[in-house]
Amino acid sequence: MTFLERSREPEAHKHWYGDMEASYVYSTGIAGERFFSTLRDKGKILGATCPKCKKTVLPPRMYCEVCFSEMGDWVDVGKEGRVDTFSIAQVGVGGEPLEEPVVYGLIRFPKVEGGLVHIIAAKPEKVKIGMKVKAKLRPRKERSGSILDIESFKPH
Amino acid sequence: MNKVACIGAGMTLFWRRLQETGKEMCWEAASMALDQAGLTLKDIDMVVLGSAPDAFDGIHMKGENLLDGAGGAKKPYMRVFTGGGTAVFTPIAAWWHIASGLAEKVLVVCEEKMSSCFPHPQSAFGHIWDPILDRPLKPNLVWIFAMEMNRYMTAYGIKKEDIARIAVKNKRNAADHPCAQLPDANITIDDVLNSEVMAWPVQRLDISPPSDGASALVMTSEKVAKKQSDDIAWVEGTGWCIDKTMWTCRDLVFPEYVAKAAKQAYKMAKIDNPRKQIHVAEPYDPFDYKECHHTEGLLLCDKGKAPDMTKEGITYRDGDLPICPSGGLLGVGNPIAATMGIKVGELYWQLTQQAGKRQVKNDPEVGVCQAWGDLMQYGSVLVMRRG
Repeated sequence: MTFLERSREPEAHKHWYGDMEASYVYSTGIAGERFFSTLRDKGKILGATCPKCKKTVLPPRMYCEVCFSEMGDWVDVGKEGRVDTFSIAQVGVGGEPLEEPVVYGLIRFPKVEGGLVHIIAAKPEKVKIGMKVKAKLRPRKERSGSILDIESFKPH
Repeated sequence: MNKVACIGAGMTLFWRRLQETGKEMCWEAASMALDQAGLTLKDIDMVVLGSAPDAFDGIHMKGENLLDGAGGAKKPYMRVFTGGGTAVFTPIAAWWHIASGLAEKVLVVCEEKMSSCFPHPQSAFGHIWDPILDRPLKPNLVWIFAMEMNRYMTAYGIKKEDIARIAVKNKRNAADHPCAQLPDANITIDDVLNSEVMAWPVQRLDISPPSDGASALVMTSEKVAKKQSDDIAWVEGTGWCIDKTMWTCRDLVFPEYVAKAAKQAYKMAKIDNPRKQIHVAEPYDPFDYKECHHTEGLLLCDKGKAPDMTKEGITYRDGDLPICPSGGLLGVGNPIAATMGIKVGELYWQLTQQAGKRQVKNDPEVGVCQAWGDLMQYGSVLVMRRG
């Protein structure tokens, strides 16, 4: 077996550059359409309830993954939740150092299964698991029907 | 079901970038496994290949690209893919080829060439997230693990240093592995605690490195194994299970899906007390806290108690239950699917007393290995017994 050279440098060996050119346009989906339109137009965070299991899930889905029923009632889960866990990111999406650390957390809502991952707008040293937070929405005219219509979750 | 044996294993160096192409790495690893089994490619009935996302190598349908290096041309051939879980799921797929009676001699090859994705495979990982719910938040792969690690540490009041000790154990173990990318015989807990913070509580040395590499096994029927080899390990049990799609709907403290996969494998292997009946374990350790998570999921200790096992010396090579004697992903490297070589391959070498300087001291009869993957929700488990 030959291993001609060990290298940590991706470009040290003879190589060829290339791309996998592809762009995508993703469908929001049936449930996503309703969730994001309501967030944009009414400023409400909706969960979906299974008519059989009676559980409300967030983000809402078209179907219940446990019993395969079509979801029945859509309910406003409110804007207040608790930090289930969090991380203080020092690096960005490509691994680049961030100028200021960003706190990301998983927010759970009362009597709802699931939750939302989002930015927590607080000083890193102040964030604790279990703390109460509230969604801060962008003003109506800036909302576009995206998860970023929620600007962040703030301590409450 | 027919009995299934492992009679040969091989692996390449794990390295940031190897000169070899993916298929060349496959050929090197597969040739080693065939040599050990005393077989040639001509003898092989069927080939199973495992490799993780196409985006790492940068070739869509890479199973077809790797096919000739894996020895699959003009044979029944399939590629399986369950993310990181591929490392243990690929030999499970090979096992059912033989257990069903369909094949007698199967070549199993796993490959990953992560250095093709330039400048860093992080950009490929970025596309595993939900495009609408997650990607607008610009998630880096590390912070989702950081949130799980924080939840685990907080739930049980575990100190960071007790998790860092796992990274130290594995990177030191890797110093005895000839294929290792990040061995360090002298690393200390302070080195881990002082390394760069990526996303708190995850620091640089809590993480395994991305690697190029390939590994291979030869798996056969009982008849072939007894004719070919004196160094046999029997596949006694297999299990696999996956948690919910939505990351936010999962239990981040205990990996129930790993426990379900383990229970399936233990039942098949007639193991009712894994803590006594398992003598060596290779759980998946892409992060130090994941070794703890998975040790608990494999039911080898009480919930929240895995860090104590290393603190008490139980998990070292001379301990009662050595864990990751290979050096693991943390020390040897993490070429996703190809980590089969340090999970299943290591178990084979340990159970047949061929692990050299890495050989554990408790004369193991039975071992378990496990891999973890897909979108951080998949467990594959395999139990082997020495022949």
